[in-house]
Amino acid sequence: MFYRTAGQFKTSYKADQALFPVRQDAILLMVILAFAWVVFPLTASEFTFQTLLIPVLIYALAAMGLNILTGFAGQLSLGTAAFMGVGAYACYKLITIFPWMNPIVAIMLSGIFSAGIGVAFGIPSLRIKGFYLAIATLAAQFFLVWLFEKWAWLYNYNASGAIQVPNIEMAGVWISGPQASSITQYYVVLAVVTIMTILCINLTRGTLGRTWKATRDMDIAAELIGINLMKSKLTAFAISSYIVGVSGALFVFMWRGAAEPNLFDIQLSFRVLFIAIIGGLGSIMGNYLGAILIVGLPVVLNIVPSALGIPISSATVEHLNIMIVGALIIFFLIIEPHGLNQLWRLIREKLTIWPFPH
Amino acid sequence: MNDPKTGDILIHWEETMKKLLKLTSAVALGAVLGTAAVAQELYAPNLAYRTGPFAATGIPLMNGQADYLNMLNARDGGIGGIKINSEECETGYSTEKGVECYEKTKAKAIVTQPWSTGITLQVLPKTNVDEIPILAPGYGFSPMADGKVFQWAFNTPSGYWDAASMILQYLQGQGDLNGKKIAFLHLDHPYGKEPLPLLEKKAGEMGFELVPIPVGLKEMQNQSAQWLQIRRERPDYVVMWGWGAMNAGAITEAVKTKFPMENFIGVWWSGHDADVKIVGEAGKGYKSISWSFPNPDAPVMADIKKHVVDAGLSQSNEEEMSGVFYSRGIIISAILAEGIAAAQAEFGTAEINASQLRWGLENINMTEERIAELGLDGMVPPFSTSCSNHTGHSGGWMLEWDGSKFVKASDHLMPDTSDYAELIATKAGEYADANAPWPTNDACEG
Repeated sequence: MFYRTAGQFKTSYKADQALFPVRQDAILLMVILAFAWVVFPLTASEFTFQTLLIPVLIYALAAMGLNILTGFAGQLSLGTAAFMGVGAYACYKLITIFPWMNPIVAIMLSGIFSAGIGVAFGIPSLRIKGFYLAIATLAAQFFLVWLFEKWAWLYNYNASGAIQVPNIEMAGVWISGPQASSITQYYVVLAVVTIMTILCINLTRGTLGRTWKATRDMDIAAELIGINLMKSKLTAFAISSYIVGVSGALFVFMWRGAAEPNLFDIQLSFRVLFIAIIGGLGSIMGNYLGAILIVGLPVVLNIVPSALGIPISSATVEHLNIMIVGALIIFFLIIEPHGLNQLWRLIREKLTIWPFPH
Repeated sequence: MNDPKTGDILIHWEETMKKLLKLTSAVALGAVLGTAAVAQELYAPNLAYRTGPFAATGIPLMNGQADYLNMLNARDGGIGGIKINSEECETGYSTEKGVECYEKTKAKAIVTQPWSTGITLQVLPKTNVDEIPILAPGYGFSPMADGKVFQWAFNTPSGYWDAASMILQYLQGQGDLNGKKIAFLHLDHPYGKEPLPLLEKKAGEMGFELVPIPVGLKEMQNQSAQWLQIRRERPDYVVMWGWGAMNAGAITEAVKTKFPMENFIGVWWSGHDADVKIVGEAGKGYKSISWSFPNPDAPVMADIKKHVVDAGLSQSNEEEMSGVFYSRGIIISAILAEGIAAAQAEFGTAEINASQLRWGLENINMTEERIAELGLDGMVPPFSTSCSNHTGHSGGWMLEWDGSKFVKASDHLMPDTSDYAELIATKAGEYADANAPWPTNDACEG
């Protein structure tokens, strides 16, 4: 009833292969986009921007990058945080070496550095698979974080060893650094994330995406039907690391404002991996759902007791928070091992045939 | 309905509902009172860490801070007749959570206490825009001492360069450092690297050899490689800038490798009773520089016991309260309270705002008499701040572990600030340039 697809006839191949062949999907997306572009920015407080809106978008982008590699091409990676770090440090170096550079251009360029490093660490994937590859990417994780600590040139020989985002102006508006307002940063992040998402959806639907999926499902079979595995795996590493690198640059420049090497520690890798797994491997929308759950839930849980006026100490809330988030992750994985994306797909299917299920 | 069982259940149900109603109305009332009380209190949130990997050190500090302010609330009705709301926001020492807490509290807060070098680094540029004073006693960024550049940041009463200067002074007092070798065991993190510029400079001047030995965050608990290096290098002294699990790791490793404990000196964050207690007698002679000292006989301790502990408001215990970190918490809150009092006296209002508190923190004058008046006898050295000097450079004492507790092993040491006044100015200038436009306090002279 709400999601009735009956009567929506396709009369051309073009219409049949549209991004959203079902009209309701397109309407829903329009509503979400309207919220993201107009309603949220107009209503959100500083706190909402800084703790919910911006981080959800950035984490979703990082998870999307990982999902290209792990969900679509089937190459497990535990080095996401390190590739985010490469993006962040590259952006920092670009901005400090070329102060005239447009910050958005710098952010986009910084992904190229992380793509290069990603390909370098992806080479072992041609020979090793599965858990062994995970360990090879783990090596990237440890090596790169170590490099961020030891290579003082990366942080301009700062005594503190941390990178600090300078104030950068673009067309008369502060867009990064402490002077920048949250709403500007939100729009920059949203624009980048929107473009990347469109890119990802199209990539995964095209030749490249199909090649990746074939590689993921059975690499020997893929090779037999003429897919160049080297090309398939390395493009997955390159594109995935590019997106992850851009998200890392956004992470530091549009949100955190400063970063120490251990920010890009393995915890961050796992966090992004959890978002991808809980959201659903091999999906684009799942990354957003996963990010909303992993980033948003703790924030909301933290606010609830004080909003209800329950006198409970902040440390206890934190303990409860960890327990609830942990339990929810297990709960979601048990009821829907294919992630939130699959859950949404099921709901949609049920809605389509409601009220007359088979 | 006449069935007694059903009736019982109904009555029982009714009672439960009544209880529930009472509870909800109490909660609602609490919420109403809570909002009503906002107008008559000063909101001084604390970004506490009672959870996570550093909780063991965080809990005594937070308890000390909370107990002192609760004591003021109970004994004097707050400061200048207005209660202090020292609500905690839990960060678990995570930078991300810390920034979240900062955003959550900044609307009402008159001060922010970030409690970790990572959070301080992130919040520091924001406080300059949001105009909230940042109180980071004994931690944070050493150049914050330059009050003209860092108008909103305070690391009273002592910074890390003060600590390094005092440690070197103490060691020099033990015998000329010329030709000696000092191993600098530090956390490989912004915090651990802080004193390096000064130590390197002094190594050249005083003629000692400096061997920096970093300990990665992942190696904190297993420092065998570092101590092997120390054994090979045979340094005369080991100076440690450690935190959390690193301290206990280093101290046990030092005992294991039979390094003479009297030649092992830590910064104030490495002077936590619990860390040395695990080795007990074997740790005898271990030293830690400190700007706070636990004095169980100080009047303030009796007041805390009377108004807070006996009233059941404290989360602390006897053993913790006799430790260095609990008393440091008290001192930190006392510094904040002095800043508030100074601001109230200057502006003639009890309900001060953030920028008035900034003035207050710039005009703290902790004289010997004032310390005695506050009942903090022997717990903190006298110091004063000014608009150009946000640290105060109180100096401190060398504490020594006597096998069961820390005792004072030196007279009041004063850092030689002229050694690094220039360094502070350059580093502060660099920071301001990197973060341009960075408003500085040009009205400040001296």
